[in-house]
Amino acid sequence: MSRISKISLSEPELVQAIRTRDRKGAEALYDMYSAALYGVIYRIIQHEEIAEDLLQEAFVKIWNSAASYDESKGRLFTWMVNIARNLSIDKTRSKDFRNHSKTEDIENIVLSVDKGFTTSINPETLGLKELVNKLNPDQKAILDLVYFRGFTHVEAAEELNLPLGTVKTRLRNAIITLRKVFN
Amino acid sequence: MKDLKTYLESGILELYVLGDLSSEEVREVEDAIAQYPDVRSEVEAIEKALQAYALSNAIQPSDAVRNRVINSIGGSEVSETPIVPLRSAGTASNFYKYAFAASVALLLVSVILLINLNNRLKESNTQLAVLQTENQQYSSRVNFMNQELEDSKKFLQIYQQPAQYKLVSLKGTPKAPAASLTVAFSPAKEEVMIDLSSLKMPSNDEEHQYQLWALVDGKPVDLGVFDSTDDHSGMKRMKSVKGAQAFAVTLEPKGGSVNPTMEQMMAIGNI
Repeated sequence: MSRISKISLSEPELVQAIRTRDRKGAEALYDMYSAALYGVIYRIIQHEEIAEDLLQEAFVKIWNSAASYDESKGRLFTWMVNIARNLSIDKTRSKDFRNHSKTEDIENIVLSVDKGFTTSINPETLGLKELVNKLNPDQKAILDLVYFRGFTHVEAAEELNLPLGTVKTRLRNAIITLRKVFN
Repeated sequence: MKDLKTYLESGILELYVLGDLSSEEVREVEDAIAQYPDVRSEVEAIEKALQAYALSNAIQPSDAVRNRVINSIGGSEVSETPIVPLRSAGTASNFYKYAFAASVALLLVSVILLINLNNRLKESNTQLAVLQTENQQYSSRVNFMNQELEDSKKFLQIYQQPAQYKLVSLKGTPKAPAASLTVAFSPAKEEVMIDLSSLKMPSNDEEHQYQLWALVDGKPVDLGVFDSTDDHSGMKRMKSVKGAQAFAVTLEPKGGSVNPTMEQMMAIGNI
C-alpha cells in the first residue's frame, strides 16, 4: 500500500499533539492507529461502509474528548480502542443495524474474523501473526470474542456455555501467552 | 504481598484493560494502580500485549477514509480557533477594498462607454441628416421627373391623336423669316397649347414678351404670353378659345396687350 509518508510520534508527543489540536497530531494519530482500530471495529461490525463511518466517529470522539484521557490510568491506545469498541457495540445493538445483519454462530464468527482480510503490514508486527497463531484455540476463541467481537466476559461465558471463572482464567492465560510473544 | 499476588492473578486487571468492568470496579483498579507500582506495571504489560495483538490484526482502511477522518477532525479544529473571527474580519475589509476598486473600475468603464456611445450617436444623427437631405433631393428629383414624364405623355398624346388635336404650323413673317412655332388646338376641348420644342423665335428683351393670338371670325383673341427663352421641352397650355381659324404671334410690351400690334407680327399660320 503506497501512500503519503506516515507520521509517527512517541506516545507522550502524540498525546501532546492531540491536546493542542494540531493537524499534524491528527495525521499522526490516524496513521499510527487507524488500522488497528479499524481491525477491531470491522470485526465487530462485519460491514465495510458502516465500519468506516464508525472509524470516523471514533476518531472524532477521541479528538474531542482528549482532555478526558488520563495517562496515569492507562495507555492511550487502551483508551482509544475502548472508545472504538464501545461505539461499535452500541452500533450492533441499534435497531437499524440488527435489521440488516444476520446472526452468525460463533464458529463462523471466529473463522470470519481472520478470513479474507489482508491485515496491514507493519514492520513492528511482522511475523506476529504466526506467533499469535500459537495461542491455544480455546484461549483465542475467548480473547477474540471479547476483544474483537465486543462480548463482555459474562456474555462470552453464556455463549460458550462455560463458568465465568473459566472464561476469566482462559482470558488471562491468553493474554499471558501474548505477553510472552510480544515481550 | 500475597493478597496483591492474588489480586494480580484474579483476572480483574485484564477485564479493566478490556473495558469490561463496572464503574465501581474501575475506580478500585485505578486506586490500586495509583497505590501499587506492581499493579501499574502489570496493567501496562497487559495493555502492551493487547495493543500488539490489535496491531497484528490491523486492517488498513481505504485511503479515502484517511482524508475524510482527518478533515472531520481538522474541521473541528478550525471552528474552535479564536483566529477565525479575526481572519473573517480581515477578509471582510479586504472584500470591501476589492469591491470599492471594482466599483471604481466599473464606473470608469461605464463613463468611457457612455462617451463612446454619445459620439456614435452624434455621428449617426449627422449621417441621418445627410441621408434625409439626400432623400429629399431624390424625391424632388423624382417629382420633377414625374412631372416631365407627365408632360411627355401629354405631348405624345397630342401627337398620337391627330383627330383631337390639330397641329398648326406658324411660319415667320418677313419681319422674322426664321421664326416658327407649332400650336396644337383641340376644337372639341377648346384647348390651345404651344409645342415649346418647336419654338424658334428671336430672343425677346426684358420689356417685351411674345403674345399668341387666335383669329376668330377675323377678330384677334388673346391667348396669353410666352418668352422665347421658355423651357424648350413639353407643351405650354395657353388660354382656351372657341372656333379659331388662325393663330398669330406678335411681340408686345411685357404682360401683353389688349389688341395686337400688327407691325410686330412675327409668325402666323392658318388652320
